Amino acid sequence: MPTFLDHCPHSELVSCVGWTSPDEVYTSSDDHQILRWNLLNDDDSSVFTKLSDDTYPTDMHWYPRVGGGVGGASKKHTSSSDMFVLGTTDGKFLLISRTGRVEKSVEAHRGAVLTSRWSYTGSDLLTAGEDGQVKLWSSTGMLRFTLTQNTSPVYSIAWGPESDQVLYTSGRQLVIKPTQPNAKANMWKAHEGVILKVAWNPVNNLILSAGEDCKYKVWDCYSRLMYSSPFHDYPITSLAWSPDGDIFAVGSFNTLQLCDKSGWSHALEKPHTGSVFNLAWSSDGTQIAGACGNGQVIFAHVIDRRLEWQSFEVVLSGRKTINVRNVTNEAREKLEFRDRIIKISLCFQHLIVATSSQCYIYSVKNWNTPTIFDLKEGSVTLVVQAAKFFLLVDQSSVYVYSYEGRLTCTPRFTGMRCDILNYQTVSLSTDTVAIRDKVDEKAVHLFDLMTGKPLGDGKPFIHTMDIMEVALDQSGSASERRLAFVDKNRDLYLTQVRVYGSARKTVKLSTMIQSMAWNDTHNMLAALADGRFTVWYYPNCVYVDKDLLPRTIFSKDSSEFGKNPHLLSFIGKHITIRRAEGSLVTSGVSPYPALLHDHTGARQWDDAVRLCRFVKDETLWACVAAMAAYAKELETAEIAYAAIDEVDKVSFLQRIKDISVKDARNAEMLLFCGQAQDAEGVLLQVALVFRAIMLNIQLYNWDRALELAVKNRTHVDTVMAYRKKYLDKFDKTETHPQFLQYKDEITIDWEKIRTKMETEYQNEQERPSGRQ
Amino acid sequence: MAEEALAKAGLHFDELNKIRVLEPEVAQQTGELKEECKDFLDKLSDFKKIVGTFIDVVDGVAQEVEKEKMKAIGSRNLLKAISKQREAQQQQLMALIAEKKMQLERLRIQHDALLKEEQGQTEFIEQFILQK
Repeated sequence: MPTFLDHCPHSELVSCVGWTSPDEVYTSSDDHQILRWNLLNDDDSSVFTKLSDDTYPTDMHWYPRVGGGVGGASKKHTSSSDMFVLGTTDGKFLLISRTGRVEKSVEAHRGAVLTSRWSYTGSDLLTAGEDGQVKLWSSTGMLRFTLTQNTSPVYSIAWGPESDQVLYTSGRQLVIKPTQPNAKANMWKAHEGVILKVAWNPVNNLILSAGEDCKYKVWDCYSRLMYSSPFHDYPITSLAWSPDGDIFAVGSFNTLQLCDKSGWSHALEKPHTGSVFNLAWSSDGTQIAGACGNGQVIFAHVIDRRLEWQSFEVVLSGRKTINVRNVTNEAREKLEFRDRIIKISLCFQHLIVATSSQCYIYSVKNWNTPTIFDLKEGSVTLVVQAAKFFLLVDQSSVYVYSYEGRLTCTPRFTGMRCDILNYQTVSLSTDTVAIRDKVDEKAVHLFDLMTGKPLGDGKPFIHTMDIMEVALDQSGSASERRLAFVDKNRDLYLTQVRVYGSARKTVKLSTMIQSMAWNDTHNMLAALADGRFTVWYYPNCVYVDKDLLPRTIFSKDSSEFGKNPHLLSFIGKHITIRRAEGSLVTSGVSPYPALLHDHTGARQWDDAVRLCRFVKDETLWACVAAMAAYAKELETAEIAYAAIDEVDKVSFLQRIKDISVKDARNAEMLLFCGQAQDAEGVLLQVALVFRAIMLNIQLYNWDRALELAVKNRTHVDTVMAYRKKYLDKFDKTETHPQFLQYKDEITIDWEKIRTKMETEYQNEQERPSGRQ
Repeated sequence: MAEEALAKAGLHFDELNKIRVLEPEVAQQTGELKEECKDFLDKLSDFKKIVGTFIDVVDGVAQEVEKEKMKAIGSRNLLKAISKQREAQQQQLMALIAEKKMQLERLRIQHDALLKEEQGQTEFIEQFILQK
């Protein structure tokens, strides 16, 4: 909920406002003055420059801070921007430098210039005017071309996330037009009244529009309506996304509202300001400045952010204070900070507080002595926590710190853009960090936390489709790390993070995913998909026994969560879901799977079986079956498979159990998991050639069987014999050229073959490493 | 006789035997008239004075009245404005109330969900104890 500080040094209507740094604001008004506000010195203002008496400003936009981005580039603009564009009612735009000098004045439109916007890279400038034209200029103010020509004034424009598309208003319609010439524009009717403002957030790619029909609406970039607000009392005159795209501000007559990105309202204030003509967020997303119709400038701070984790409740109660409450014993703590708080995050027993200069790490066990370290750049845009580490993102880099405050690594890759990273595109685990690429959205970069180096061969994981969300599982060993991701089709996939030698196996788990989350302590995956709430108790099951996967799932109807719910977290045995209208709903998950994970994680297989016998739940049995099979725990697997009536698998396991050679058993287990290739690899590695040949024969993989036999000059006749048997059985004639070739050379004598096989098995028994 | 002759010449004697051009009666009447005129003039100036003060007083009253009238108009406008202001305030408050109602509804839903979860957990615990 915002708090306000009003000031009234302008004598006329204030038309525009812009931030340069989180502590400095410039405003300009119809009294021909531009004021500079220093928020550090008790919000005092000084006259920055005076414009000529016939200049009435309409819109102001500061040149973007082109910071960091590509691997901490050499020319880093850590300071704030040094130029801004000011549109005026007489059809000009002015480029004004930080010293207050008008560098350039350009005749741009007939009638007033209504709005002007720099692209995110700063290379282009867009202006729109009352004459209905949208023009594209170079950064020095040279006209590139006229993008479009309309019959009605263009009141507002916005750049697309890649600065290659432009959104503009045309009466009651919104238009998205790529900047390449001759590209087709997408136009749709958005409002019942003239549209006055639009905004497009580069992080979440959502569009806001508002107009004289007293409504604001949220759209996605394909012009699908995500939210439409109820009627307000007055036309909406201003809109602004917060930089991280979580919330946005709406301004109207005597009204300032703070809304969630899904549209519902966080807070509403009714200050006496007249219409709020323009709103701007500070770059750290904690403050809003508004230009008001009665000459006031309004400053608002976002406070009352509330976080919950287990029994702790953390509330950002002021700009520099945090209240902590432990609900189990009503213990309260008040944490005071020297600087403004920018980000807070509470998870995994730690509270991370990023202020404008420092980072504080509190353990929930001790609120008195935080670990403190200085931040290189002030504005942290994202905090992601995992069990042992946490990740900070600022304008130029991604940092991973341990909870002792030690910098562990700074993962980076070429083309990394830190400013648009969010919870969906970054995931942290105890040993791995995954970052979705922005240039190629199909790619996910995976880094080892200890070294900060890319995993494996250094190449990112590439999917066939654009990836929208990534999430790493949180527990288990590093070698078994799994990455769950959702692609553009909203399909959920699971893939291996660390692979040795072989390619990553990616398996599709589900379709129509709305949102998903890993459990924080056990490797369980929860998701909302297509009207159902689903928990995969043991997602790793897909790598063990894919047929078993549907039986390890808990699924229920999600209609109780309303339309379009969003899964926020899956902590312990609780899932937290945010409904479309903004209410938080919690729901419990059975505690048994977590217990089972604990037992199997500690290799207490007897306890796991006892637990399953106690609970008598088929899902749990299926989980333990898959876990045991994965851990090659044959006894337990056999019991579990028997319990879920998988006769074929039980008999297969019994057969494996009878094999006395360990490597052969491992190979058979791999075969059981459907990984024939790996099984063969294991066998060949320990020179169990005969078994490898038999394995291929059993899989009817005749080419490979023969190839192996010929290569090792053994059992060619065996292969031929089995091939003949197979052909006879299916009443076919030999057509395979290689088999035809050997057919004449080798005579099949079943007696001889049988003795040969017997000797092979005998030899296996006598191998030095054979006996277990 | 002599008097008649004198009268013809326009000369007269009054009772004090002074010679007069006018007839004594006329002269007397003239004198009287003069007196009366003087009286009249005095009265007239008195009247003027009185009327002057009266006008002053009336002017004062008029001013007062005008002032009161403006006041009345002012208050009447104010009254009208207040009702409008009230309307605006009411509208604002209604908007705030609607906002709070929505928040309440959200919290209610959250509360319901928590109650449901609590119920589920209690059931689970009971079942667990029974099974033991």
